[in-house]
Amino acid sequence: MTEALWPYLLVVVFGFLPSEVWRVVAVFLSRGFDEKAEILVWVRAVATALVAGVVAKIVFSPTGPLVAVPLVWRLAALALGVAAFFAARRSVMTGVVVGEAALIGAAWLAAGRMP
Amino acid sequence: MARPPMGPEEPSTRALVLRGVRDALALPAWVVGLSMFAVGSLAGETGFPAGAAVLSTLMIWAGPAQVIFFGGIAVGTALPAIALAVALSSIRLLPMTLSTLPLFGGRAKGTGLQVLVAHYVTVTVWVEALRLLPPMPMEERLPYYLGFANACLLLCAVTTFFGYALVGALPLPLAAGLLFLTPTFFTLSLAAGARGASDWVAVGAGFVLAPVSTALVGKDFDLLLVGLVGGTAAYLVQKKLGRGPA
Repeated sequence: MTEALWPYLLVVVFGFLPSEVWRVVAVFLSRGFDEKAEILVWVRAVATALVAGVVAKIVFSPTGPLVAVPLVWRLAALALGVAAFFAARRSVMTGVVVGEAALIGAAWLAAGRMP
Repeated sequence: MARPPMGPEEPSTRALVLRGVRDALALPAWVVGLSMFAVGSLAGETGFPAGAAVLSTLMIWAGPAQVIFFGGIAVGTALPAIALAVALSSIRLLPMTLSTLPLFGGRAKGTGLQVLVAHYVTVTVWVEALRLLPPMPMEERLPYYLGFANACLLLCAVTTFFGYALVGALPLPLAAGLLFLTPTFFTLSLAAGARGASDWVAVGAGFVLAPVSTALVGKDFDLLLVGLVGGTAAYLVQKKLGRGPA
């Protein structure tokens, strides 16, 4: 009984708490800021750069099945997705579909070449 | 389903919640849902029960943190080290939450409600909130947001379970495609939401600085450096241009 609850406890203590703390800290820091506060312009820019950084980390140093796709093809698939996004009048759906198709195609070829 | 009344009268709370659900299910919830499918697959390889994988989605609600958690468990990393890595990866939630909460003005009152609103913040929800909420009347934002965010979260709870149950069943190209959804969707969401030169500088700087930063300070602290340097550079560009969308 107690033993079966162990994994759930680990998720809460070593996953949820260290992650959630930032959201809760933000709640208290946000007191007194309105939508137009100057510091939020900077905070937003930091968050935007962080997300772009997450993207770059996944593309440049992926884990798991993405490793099988060479870096050039990963970059090319992302670039194709962005190009399709703009070509289709800023359609996120179109960009995602084209980028994914390119990546899956590249992965298919890469998998075919593996012994 | 009855259509909500159109015209000059204000939409009901229910109509706003449903509009949020509908917009989420139009694409964003499925993208984050498929990336949580990948998280579920990873969790399936750890020997943890499916319920723990689903709980991680409902409670942690941050893909990279969940990947670090289950990836760490799978290879037997010490638990305090896992917690530290999770905390570092989730620092990005601080500026995201900080820029989300003021969008509700005084409508999200009370610490409990604010913590709830904050809990839903993840890249997808943040990007879409920043893009979709500002043009909406202040009183419509909270119900719309809760509908949108809950649709994403609940769909992801389901896809996490399926990822867990179907672990190993996917051929490699599709598994790679699933993992590639996150960077593709994040990039395009940022592009769709960009409101001026500073946003583009932040995106470009973040992308270019990341590999450099990893080489400089290692894979744990690199994103912190990327955010501070890239974000500050973008902010200064905006100041210099002298006009801001704010």
